[in-house]
Amino acid sequence: MTIALRTQDAAFRQLLEDRYAGFVKTSPNPQFEFDISLFEPSDSPDPSQAKHADDDVQVRLQGGQWLLQRGDFCARWDSAAGRGHIRQSRNPYAIDSALRIVHTLILARQGGFLVHAASAIRGGRAFLFAGVSGAGKTTISRVAPLDATLLTDEISYVRRAGNGYEAWGTPFAGELARVGENQAAPVSALFLLEKGGENRIEPVGESEAIRLLLRNILFFAEDSELVNLVFRSACEFVERVPVRRLIFVPDERVWEMIR
Amino acid sequence: MMIMSAVDSTFFTLNEVATVIWQAADGCTPLSDIVARRICPEFEVDPAEAGRDAEQFVNDLSRHGILLVSEQPIPSPPPPEAR
Repeated sequence: MTIALRTQDAAFRQLLEDRYAGFVKTSPNPQFEFDISLFEPSDSPDPSQAKHADDDVQVRLQGGQWLLQRGDFCARWDSAAGRGHIRQSRNPYAIDSALRIVHTLILARQGGFLVHAASAIRGGRAFLFAGVSGAGKTTISRVAPLDATLLTDEISYVRRAGNGYEAWGTPFAGELARVGENQAAPVSALFLLEKGGENRIEPVGESEAIRLLLRNILFFAEDSELVNLVFRSACEFVERVPVRRLIFVPDERVWEMIR
Repeated sequence: MMIMSAVDSTFFTLNEVATVIWQAADGCTPLSDIVARRICPEFEVDPAEAGRDAEQFVNDLSRHGILLVSEQPIPSPPPPEAR
C-alpha cells in the first residue's frame, strides 16, 4: 500500500526519509496522498478546536471526512478520494500516529488490523508475538537468531491473503529502536507471550484467543460499523491462525521452538 | 486496555490489574489506597505483593512520561476556557 506524503519543508522531508528508510519509494500512482503542513509549538493544530497535548486521540467521521486529532496533530482525510491533509508539529511521533490511525481505518475494511505485537519471518513463515507490556515483545525480538527477519518489535501489520493472513514489516519501532524489514510472509502462528521458568507452548481456547487478540488490536475510531468489522476480523483470524501461549525464559533458546 | 504515550507514541497494553490502577489514578488517591480498596478485594491477591507490583507498574509508566508520580495530591488542571 503506497501513501504519498508531501511537505514543503525540506528538513522535515529529510526527517521522514530517514525515519522511514527501507519503506520509502517513488511511485507515480500512490493509493493515498497526504499534504503535510507544520505548526510551531506555540500554535494549535486546529485553532477552532484547541486541544491539550495530553488529550486523548480522537478519530471520527465529520462531514464525510475522517477527522484525526491529538494535541500535536490534526488531520482530515477523505478516504473515498484517497486524499488528506495533516497539520502537525515537527515531532516525528505525530506523523507516526497519524499514519498508524490511517492504516487502522484502511485495514478495517480489508479484514486486517494493526496489532501491538512483535513479528518476525523464519523459514518463509511469519510469527506474531503479543502480550501485555513487559511480557517480552522487545526481549524476544532482541534474542531473535540471524535466520529470523524482524518485521517489527512494536506494531505488526496483518492483512487478509487468500484463506489466511500475511504479516508485513512496519517502520514503527518500539523499545528496540530498530525499524522493521519491508517484507511479508504468511502468518503461521500468534504467540501470546509470558515470561516463565521454562520454555513451553500451551494451547489457548478460541474465546480467550479472541479476547486477548482484541486487547492488542489498535483501533481508535468512534465508528460502530468499523468496530464491528474489526471484531469480525479478530474472530476470523483466530479461526484460521493457530493462537498459542508461549511461556519462555528470556534468552535465545526460545527460538528453538519457533520454526 | 491499551494506552498510547503522547510523548513518543509508544503503546502499552495493560492487564486487568494495571487497567484498574490506570483508571483509578486521579492525582488525589494514594497508590496504597488503590491497592487496598480496588486491587486486593477484586483480584484476591496478597497486599504486600500487590503493593510491590503496583509500585513497579507506576514507576514504569512514569519512566515513559505517561504517569506522574507525586508525594502530594496533584491539583486538577483548570478547565480549557480558563487557560
